[in-house]
Amino acid sequence: MNMNLYSRGDKFFAICIMVLVGLFTLSTLYPFIYIAAVSFSSGFAVTSGQVTIVPIDITFAAYDRVLSDPMFWNAYKNTFIYTFGGTFVSLLIIIPGAYALSRPQLKGRRFWNFMVAFTMWFNAGMIPFFLNMRDLGLLDSYFGIIIGFACNAFNIILLRNFFEGIPDSFTEAARMDGANDFQVLWKVFIPLSKPAIATITLFCIVARWNGFFWAMVLLQDEDKLPLQVYLRRVIAELTDDEEFVSSTVNALYSFETVTAAIMVCSIVPILMIYPFIQKYFNKGIMLGGVKE
Amino acid sequence: MQNIQQYTSRIMRHIRAEWQLYLLLAPTIIWFIVFLYVPMYGLQIAFKDYSIFKGVAASPWVGLEHFYTLFESEQFMRAIKNTLILSGYNLLFGFPMPIILALGFNEFTKAFFKRTAQTVVYLPHFISTVIIAGIVMSVFSPSVGVVNLLLVQMGFDSVYFLVQPEWFRPIFIGTGIWQEAGFTSIVFLAAIAGVNPSLYESALVDGANRWQMMWRITLPSILPTIIIMLIIRIGNILEVGFELIILLYQPSTYETADVISTYVYRQGLQNAQYDLAAAAGFFNAVVAFVLVLTANTISKRVTKTSLW
Amino acid sequence: MSGVSLSKMTKRYGIVEVVRGIDLEIKPQEFVVLVGPSGCGKSTTLRMIAGLEEISDGTVKIGDRVINEVAPKDRDVAMVFQNYALYPHLSVFENIAFGLRIRKVDKKVITQSVNDVANTLGLTEYLERKPADLSGGQRQRVAMGRAIVRHPKIFLFDEPLSNLDAKLRTQMRAEIKRLHKRLKVTSIYVTHDQIEAMTLADRIVVMNDGRIEQIGTPMELFNNPVNTFVAGFIGSPPMNQLNAIVNDVDGRLVAKVGNSLITLPKIKALANSSNREVIVGIRPEHVLLQASATSSPIAIELELVETLGSEALLHTQIAKTPFVVKAETRFGDVSHLDKVTTLHIEPDLIKVFDADTGMALATAIQD
Repeated sequence: MNMNLYSRGDKFFAICIMVLVGLFTLSTLYPFIYIAAVSFSSGFAVTSGQVTIVPIDITFAAYDRVLSDPMFWNAYKNTFIYTFGGTFVSLLIIIPGAYALSRPQLKGRRFWNFMVAFTMWFNAGMIPFFLNMRDLGLLDSYFGIIIGFACNAFNIILLRNFFEGIPDSFTEAARMDGANDFQVLWKVFIPLSKPAIATITLFCIVARWNGFFWAMVLLQDEDKLPLQVYLRRVIAELTDDEEFVSSTVNALYSFETVTAAIMVCSIVPILMIYPFIQKYFNKGIMLGGVKE
Repeated sequence: MQNIQQYTSRIMRHIRAEWQLYLLLAPTIIWFIVFLYVPMYGLQIAFKDYSIFKGVAASPWVGLEHFYTLFESEQFMRAIKNTLILSGYNLLFGFPMPIILALGFNEFTKAFFKRTAQTVVYLPHFISTVIIAGIVMSVFSPSVGVVNLLLVQMGFDSVYFLVQPEWFRPIFIGTGIWQEAGFTSIVFLAAIAGVNPSLYESALVDGANRWQMMWRITLPSILPTIIIMLIIRIGNILEVGFELIILLYQPSTYETADVISTYVYRQGLQNAQYDLAAAAGFFNAVVAFVLVLTANTISKRVTKTSLW
Repeated sequence: MSGVSLSKMTKRYGIVEVVRGIDLEIKPQEFVVLVGPSGCGKSTTLRMIAGLEEISDGTVKIGDRVINEVAPKDRDVAMVFQNYALYPHLSVFENIAFGLRIRKVDKKVITQSVNDVANTLGLTEYLERKPADLSGGQRQRVAMGRAIVRHPKIFLFDEPLSNLDAKLRTQMRAEIKRLHKRLKVTSIYVTHDQIEAMTLADRIVVMNDGRIEQIGTPMELFNNPVNTFVAGFIGSPPMNQLNAIVNDVDGRLVAKVGNSLITLPKIKALANSSNREVIVGIRPEHVLLQASATSSPIAIELELVETLGSEALLHTQIAKTPFVVKAETRFGDVSHLDKVTTLHIEPDLIKVFDADTGMALATAIQD
């Protein structure tokens, strides 16, 4: 609505609202700025409490230290493997599954759909899942992390609902033209569902990139740890590591700047895909009217 | 007899014609069985004296013994209490915030500011819990954290927030709001976008001001959405962000921070008391299931829309 | 070219029968229109012929081959859908070529066939466009192109014009008719619009409640509806139907409608009847404003005159029953119509139906 039409009271109201929302926005943004500022400051500037908004004594020492750690690169590589391998496998299972569940000619369709949806309400929980992974021999393996979290009811139902919205005549026309289910899925459904598939892909990527709990529980071998677990270890271990603390006395970095630098390195890829996320998650939320 | 034959031949014909469909479905169903339904079968260890060597099926039954142990354990009762308290606070303070934000965004007249603010407040939702915990730790750090710097400057003593149990709840709830309020507001913004614009136009003609429009048009219009979201939240009251708790708590704050899931994690995965932990998890899952079903029934009655 | 023959074709969903044993012979090259109100089973019938619905009972033959168990793609039929089912991500060319590509037809052949079809339908300059950039009529043509390109034995049309506005519908109707004249492919066309049925069909099949009410050429249906349903469905506005009581007065059949007495045509079934209840059907076009030598007068109450230009519709009541009359204007002047109080009806143009069964009683012409 045109602001010029506002009365004085309305303008005052609008300004109050904007100030309130603005404050919330700034308080959301501030910690990120703070972390970035810390990561570019000298260790001394941070420990002496000088850093609040802008970096003091700008230095890349913390990044030098982080990037020179082979374990960091290894963790980065692992996170890429889990993210892209996991997302790929997820799509490979979810897309065909959602397609089949959306087809009226599937016998027992209600049953299969219930079987998927039921897991949203009832879950065996942490311990049986862990023991099952152990019994399957999927502890401490790349494959275990990739396959064990490939699917979830929410994504399948989301995509199935989208598929169900595609008019039947598209499928019927393709069938009369001689297309089989693979062809209908590949040549009709997937091209028609790009926004929904993009949304799910982004959900998967974000979940994989950020996933930490099960990686921490299931992985023992340090060489297989993803970035998030590596970061947690660094935070947990460096705090009590006297050797590290004494090594920082004369260095330009400190515990605070090093952890901040790792955090920045972990956030940057998310920031890079964030514009795409923004474009699609609005749609995703709209698609997410989860109904059986 | 002939009927059965007819029936089988119909089925065979159907499968011959539609086998591709079942092939496409198979990976999904197999995945759900292997990774979600087999663990449900494994839940029986909650009623067994589970031994790694004997496996799930061969371990001897012990009935409800683990449940007696749990309900006599102070730690478990404390975990239930903490779960409910954290969820309750989260509902009380966390639920209204996204609504307020959405109403606020709706009053923005400049699209640029609105979009920028939204871009910022949605962001934390996409940041990993480890980073969120890292940010909390550094912001509340006793020596160099910005909160304590501010306190010292104002003449207070610095506080070691993360080791004091009385500070855990506010920090946890606050972090939750900081991380999720913006993103959750999308649901309400979508509801607001669905309000018929002619309602505002006719109110404007009737001489309503912005404040009145918000109270008398926007809020009543999105009330159904608010009720549904509230019911969902209440249905999920046993779900607290346990990953963040695991990252933030320490023995000195267990008193206020230890919830059912973290209890299960410690007993099961750290102390290897699988059967006891599975019993705790089973209790949690059953209560959660009942709550969700109840929430859905209420939602059906109240809003005539089922959640699924 | 092949014909299609349906015998006792039935569709059941659970215990609900939506198509109740239909028998229909469609000759090669014939254009048959299935028409009826929504829910009458006409679309289901078409979809069973297409193979999109399973046939619960009975058989469908294309030519001499029973196709109940044949997959849709192997039936050699093509279908034009109500919403066209054009793939939004493919160009017009690729949309038309889709079926050929699926069948792995040689690339050169595809290009040639698509170009031929585009030429026939006047789509050549739009081949590179996406469906979203086409007008309604062009989309409709692409949908037909996709059916034509495969040279099927049978064309199936499922209400293909109902998404178009009235003007375009008239235009595309003529185009479909022309196309059929040229290609001479057996066509089955489903619509709920009786005007489409009348204009397009060689033969019309009127369906109601899962059954066939009548099969015939458009003029047969118009002139000799077998029952009140067909009478009320074909023609626009539909045939007026009045309850009447018939008496045989010295060999002359007289029907009493309200307070008026109307002479009926000679009908064997009504001979010697006394106080027999019937339904009298009179088409709006068949009413006279001036008495003729044989006509009987009937008193009306005029409610409203709707002017359409060269003609006008008089909405009247006879014995509390609505009665519509189509009358000519005098070069656009309707003032003479405002004062009408009596209509005149020619016995030979009256249809008589049994009051209980609704079936037509043998008409004067055949008698």
